[in-house]
Amino acid sequence: MTTDDATTTPLLLEMRGITKRFPGVVALRDVSIKLSAGEVLALMGENGAGKSTLMKILGGAYLPDEGEILLAGKPVVIAGVREAKGLGIALIHQELMLAPNLDVTANIFLGNEHAAFGMAGPLPRKRLNDEAARLIERVGLKAKPTTPVSTLTTGQMQMVEIAKALALNARIIVMDEPTASLTAAESEHLFGIIHKLRTDGIGLVYISHRLDEVLALSDRITVLRDGRYVGDLARSQATREGIVTMMVGRDLSNNYFPEKTSRPPGEIVLDARDVRVPGTPRGVSFNVRAGEILGIAGLVGSGRTELMQTVFGVTPALGGTMTLDGNPYAPQTPRAAIERGVFLAPEDRKHHGLVLPMTIAENTSLPNIHSYARYGFLDRATERKVATAEVARLRTKTPSIQQRVVNLSGGNQQKVVLGKWLAMKPRVLILDEPTRGIDVGAKAEIYRHMAALAEQGIGIVMVSSDMEEVLGMSDRVVVMHEKIIKGVLSRNELSQERVAALMTGIAEGAAA
Amino acid sequence: MRRELGMGVALILMCLGLFLSNPDFLGYSNSINTVRQISMLGILAIGIAFVIVTGGIDLSIGSLVGLTGVIIAKLSSPAQGGHGYSLWVGIGVALGVVLALGLFQGLLITKLKLPPFIVTLSGMMMFRGVSQTISEGGTLSLGGSPILALANSGYLTVGGEPLLPYPLVIFLVVIGLSTYILHFTVFGRYIYAIGGNRDAAEYSGIDVSKVETSTYVISAGLAGVSGICYAAYIGQMSQQVGVSYELYAIAAAVLGGCSLRGGEGTVLGVIIGSAVMRVIDNGINMFQLRYVDDHKIPRLWRLDQNWTFIIIGGVLLVAVVIDQVVHLVLEKRRIRMAGLLEQPGATAAGTPPKETPTPADTS
Repeated sequence: MTTDDATTTPLLLEMRGITKRFPGVVALRDVSIKLSAGEVLALMGENGAGKSTLMKILGGAYLPDEGEILLAGKPVVIAGVREAKGLGIALIHQELMLAPNLDVTANIFLGNEHAAFGMAGPLPRKRLNDEAARLIERVGLKAKPTTPVSTLTTGQMQMVEIAKALALNARIIVMDEPTASLTAAESEHLFGIIHKLRTDGIGLVYISHRLDEVLALSDRITVLRDGRYVGDLARSQATREGIVTMMVGRDLSNNYFPEKTSRPPGEIVLDARDVRVPGTPRGVSFNVRAGEILGIAGLVGSGRTELMQTVFGVTPALGGTMTLDGNPYAPQTPRAAIERGVFLAPEDRKHHGLVLPMTIAENTSLPNIHSYARYGFLDRATERKVATAEVARLRTKTPSIQQRVVNLSGGNQQKVVLGKWLAMKPRVLILDEPTRGIDVGAKAEIYRHMAALAEQGIGIVMVSSDMEEVLGMSDRVVVMHEKIIKGVLSRNELSQERVAALMTGIAEGAAA
Repeated sequence: MRRELGMGVALILMCLGLFLSNPDFLGYSNSINTVRQISMLGILAIGIAFVIVTGGIDLSIGSLVGLTGVIIAKLSSPAQGGHGYSLWVGIGVALGVVLALGLFQGLLITKLKLPPFIVTLSGMMMFRGVSQTISEGGTLSLGGSPILALANSGYLTVGGEPLLPYPLVIFLVVIGLSTYILHFTVFGRYIYAIGGNRDAAEYSGIDVSKVETSTYVISAGLAGVSGICYAAYIGQMSQQVGVSYELYAIAAAVLGGCSLRGGEGTVLGVIIGSAVMRVIDNGINMFQLRYVDDHKIPRLWRLDQNWTFIIIGGVLLVAVVIDQVVHLVLEKRRIRMAGLLEQPGATAAGTPPKETPTPADTS
C-alpha cells in the first residue's frame, strides 16, 4: 500500500523500526515512517495507537529502545528537546505551549533568543520584535509583536506556535490535533498556512481524528494500530471507510450508530423560553422531551457550551424562564440543577468532569456524597456497591473500582462521568462533546449507552461539533450560530447540508 | 502595572496622611530610619520575588537572615563568644554558607521534584536551629565590631545622620542589578516564562531546572546580604533575629503585584510593596490625633501597638481583595462588551424579540 513518489523528492525524515517499551507495555513495535520535503503526512490511529509516543521520540522527549532516525539520509540521535530543535524539528502540541503572561515576540523566540553571552546576556528586544513582525505577517496573524498572548484567541495562539516553529527554521513541523479547538474560519486559515509551508519545502506531520481534514489536507496517510505500523495510503487511494477500517481493524460503519427508535418522543421535560445567557445579544428558546436525544450543533464559539452552562446553573440566566416537568426551574448554582435532576457531563472532563487522582468509586459518589453518609460517616460499602453497579452497566474497562481515574483511557473516563450521573437518576442529561478525544471503538459504545438511556425516558442533550455524530445520534437538532439559535430541525428534516447552512449562518431556520 | 500604580498612589496618600497627623513622620531622623528599614526588607523581598515569579516559594529566608548574623557574630565579633577574626572572614563565610544552602534547596526542588513549600519549610526550621546551636541558645554581641558602622553611617552625613545610609546604597545596587536581570536579560525572560507556563518553557528547550535552581540561590544570597544589614542594625544576635521575616518579604512582594501563581511581578512593585509594609509599621508608631478631653485638656490619641499585625494583615487582605474585585469587574465588562459586539445590529430596534415563533429568524 506504500507509494513510491519518494524517489522524486529527497527524503527529509525516516524513522526505521522504532520500538519503545514502557514498564508493562510496548508502546511502539517496529514502526517506520517516511516524510519528504513539501509533504503533508497524516498520522492516524485510535487513542493509544502510538502516535504521540512516536512524535515524542521525534521531538526528543523519549529515546527509542530500538530503531534509527535518519534526517536527510544521515542517522541522528535526538537526545532531548533542545537537540530536536537544533535539528530543525518543531512540535506543536495539542495543548498549546505558550506563556500567557508574555507577549507574542517573547513566545515566538522563547528558548531561541540568540542573545550575546547566553542567558546572562541582554534581550535583543528590537531585533526580536522586528523578526517577530516578519513572522507574524508570514503566518497571517492579526496581532502586534507586543500583544500579550493572554488576549489572543486559540486560533491566533496556534499561529504564534507556527511562527515559533518558523523562527527555529524548522524543516519538519509536527501538529497534534491543531484544529481541536479552532472555529471553522480559523481552521481554514490554518489550512492556508499549511499549504504555504508545504510549498516552502517544509515537511509536515499532521495528527488528527477528523477524517475530512485529513482527506483534504494530506498527501499521504500513515495508519498505526496498537503500537504497530498498519500501512500507508496515498491521498488518491484513501476513503473514509478505508482509513477507519485500517484504524480499528474491523468494519465499523454498519453498526457505528445504534438504530434509532421509532417510538414517539414523550412529554416535554425541560422547556426554555427566551433564556438569555450572559454575554449574548438576546434570549433563546428550546425544549427537551423525555426519551429523545436533542443534538445541539454549532461551531466552536457559537454559544452552545455557554447555553448549557446556564441550563446547569453555572452562569445563571439574565432573563427568560425555564420549566422542568412543568415546574419553574431557575438554577443559580450547579448544585441547584443537580438537586432537580439536571446533570452535565462537561466538554473538558479532565478539569470539570472528574477529580483525576480520586478513584472510580470516589468520583461516582462525589456529586451525591451526602446520601452515602450514615451518622456523618461515609458508607464505603454502599459507595462500592453503586460504583460496581455503574462500572458493570457501562462496561467500564478497569481492574477495580479502586483504580484512580487518571489511569483510565479517555473512553473509560467518560464512562465514569456517565456513571456518576446515572447513579442519581437523571431527568435531563447534558453531554457536552461526549466523544471528544475518544477512540472509535469506545465511541460506538458511548453511543449505545446514550441510546439506551434515552430509551429509559431520560431527556438527553448532546452538544457536538462532530457532524457525523449529530446526524447519527440526534432525534432533533438545535443549530446555533453567533450565540443564538438559528433553527431546530426534526428528524425528517435532518441533513448535513441543512445543519451546515444553519451553523455557518447562511440559512435561517424555524426558531422553536 | 495596575497593581504598582494602585499601591504607589496608596503609599503616597499614606505618607501624606501620616505627615499631616504628625509632621515628625517626615522629620530627618524618622525618614532616614524608615528608608533604612525599607531597604533591608526590600533586599529580602526582591530576592524572594525571583522565586515567586517562577511560581515557587522560599520560606527559609528569614532563618537565613538570622543565620548570616549569627555566623558573622560568632566568627568576627571581638566581644565575648566571638572568635574575633576579621569582619571580612565572617561576611565571606556567612555569604558562602547561605549561597550553598540556597543551591542545596534549589537542587532538591528541581532535581528531586520536591515541592518548594516543604523543602524551604524544612530549611526554615533547620537553619533556625543551627543559629540557636551556634549562639548556644543565648545572644552573641557584635559590640565593638566595625560592622555596626554599616547600619549607622553612610554617605553625605548631615547633622549626625547620613543622607544615604549604607543599607540604602546596597538596596539601590540590588535594585539596579535585579531590574537588569529580571527585566532586560534572557535569563529574566525565562523566569517569567517558567512562571507563566512551565511546560511551555520546558518544551521551548529552556533548561528549566537550572533557571529555577538559580532563583533559589539568588533568594538565599539576597537573604544573606539583607542579613548582614540586619546584623549591623540589631547588633545582638540570637535565634530570634529574622523570625517570620520571610512572611514580611512575601507580603511585600504580593502587595507590589507578585502573584503566587507565578509569572507576574516587577522589581518596582516589590520596592513599593516593601515601602508600604515599612511605612505602615512606622506609621502605627507615628500616627496621632489631637483632641481636647472633657476637662478641656489637649491630648493625643495614638494607635495601640498591639494592633500592628491586625493592621498589616488587614492591609494585605484589602489590597488583594480590591485587586481581585477590579479584575472580576473588568472581566465581566469585557464579556458584556464582547456580547454586544456579537449582536447583529439588534439594538437598533431597541425591542426584545417577540415570543411568537416565526418561520424566519427575527433578526
